[in-house]
Amino acid sequence: MRTRSTRTFAAAALLAAGALTLTACGSGDDSGKPVAVVSEEVASDKAATVLDQPFEKPDLVLTDTHGKKYDLRKETAGRPTLIYFGYTHCPDVCPLTMNNLAVAKKSLPKAEQDELRVVFVTTDPDRDTPEELGSWLRGIDPQFIGLTGDFSTIQAGARTLGIAIEPTTKDKNGKLVSVHGTQVVAFSPKTDEGYVVYGEDATVDDYTKDLPKLIEGQNP
Amino acid sequence: MRRPAAVIPLAAAVLAGAVLLTGCGSTESGGKPDLSVTSSYMPQPVTASLAAGFLTIENKGDAADQLTSVTSDAAASVTLHRTEGGAMEEVDRLTVPAHGRLVLRSGGDHLMFDHLKSKPVEGQSVPVDLHFATSGDLKVEIPVKPATYNPATGH
Repeated sequence: MRTRSTRTFAAAALLAAGALTLTACGSGDDSGKPVAVVSEEVASDKAATVLDQPFEKPDLVLTDTHGKKYDLRKETAGRPTLIYFGYTHCPDVCPLTMNNLAVAKKSLPKAEQDELRVVFVTTDPDRDTPEELGSWLRGIDPQFIGLTGDFSTIQAGARTLGIAIEPTTKDKNGKLVSVHGTQVVAFSPKTDEGYVVYGEDATVDDYTKDLPKLIEGQNP
Repeated sequence: MRRPAAVIPLAAAVLAGAVLLTGCGSTESGGKPDLSVTSSYMPQPVTASLAAGFLTIENKGDAADQLTSVTSDAAASVTLHRTEGGAMEEVDRLTVPAHGRLVLRSGGDHLMFDHLKSKPVEGQSVPVDLHFATSGDLKVEIPVKPATYNPATGH
């Protein structure tokens, strides 16, 4: 049972691994896989998905990293805004996503960097206190906004963006396990609607290319 | 019988720094795993409390092996994780299929380093010992790459 699911997952990982420059020295294993890898690459050529039906900005009133009340709609009205749901005890995708955004942001002119709002909403509010969240985000980009608060409020807000998260639970070893969202949602400064979505495969280059458009509320 | 198999992976581990290929030309066969490690990296973490590590374990042998644990002098603990749909799950072993490979990659299976002695910085490397059910131990120096490192593009 375990072996089978491991293998299945390893195969999926291989498929998704894209252009990982690993070849098998002609040993002939995994025949057929490279073809699948190529088609995967072509299919996911564009990182951005422009939504036909944009999302309303979630009506979230939470606590920021200074311990102050933060009304998302009020604070980000008329601003280009990127929202991601994640947690700081996440070793892989959450810091990668936020670092990708941080590096891409640096290629914008200063005025546009100041205009942009990048909001990280924790999915693990018990561990991600304002202090924890603040010190983590300062290690990525001091302009990023971190929000924490009541889990059910956060979950409901995420749900309005089609993002499903679950409360932190304990696994069989007693370790805490949290769940992050898999998307970054971009909100237009013109309409305040979430009109573009990025999956977790979006790279620095994707964001670098698209941010100037997102700042203007244009389609990437 | 197992000694030669352990020597080859050890040499491979030394070379595993960049995205490069090792273990070519091996003619091992006869019902045992023949492992080598490539493509290892650790994205520079945000803090010293938590980091991820990725690598590919290639098995040119005729038998599968299992990665049962990982240790490192640089961290209080290293655990094996699988990610599915945004949720992480700790697993107690990962299989390296015969004539196949185990790929630990961002968004998928990964090593999780808890409470590192100091925050790993780009350009450094982190020593780890991979423990296998059949092949014994493999030593790998995992290079620390930029936080946004993408193995597909190499930067």
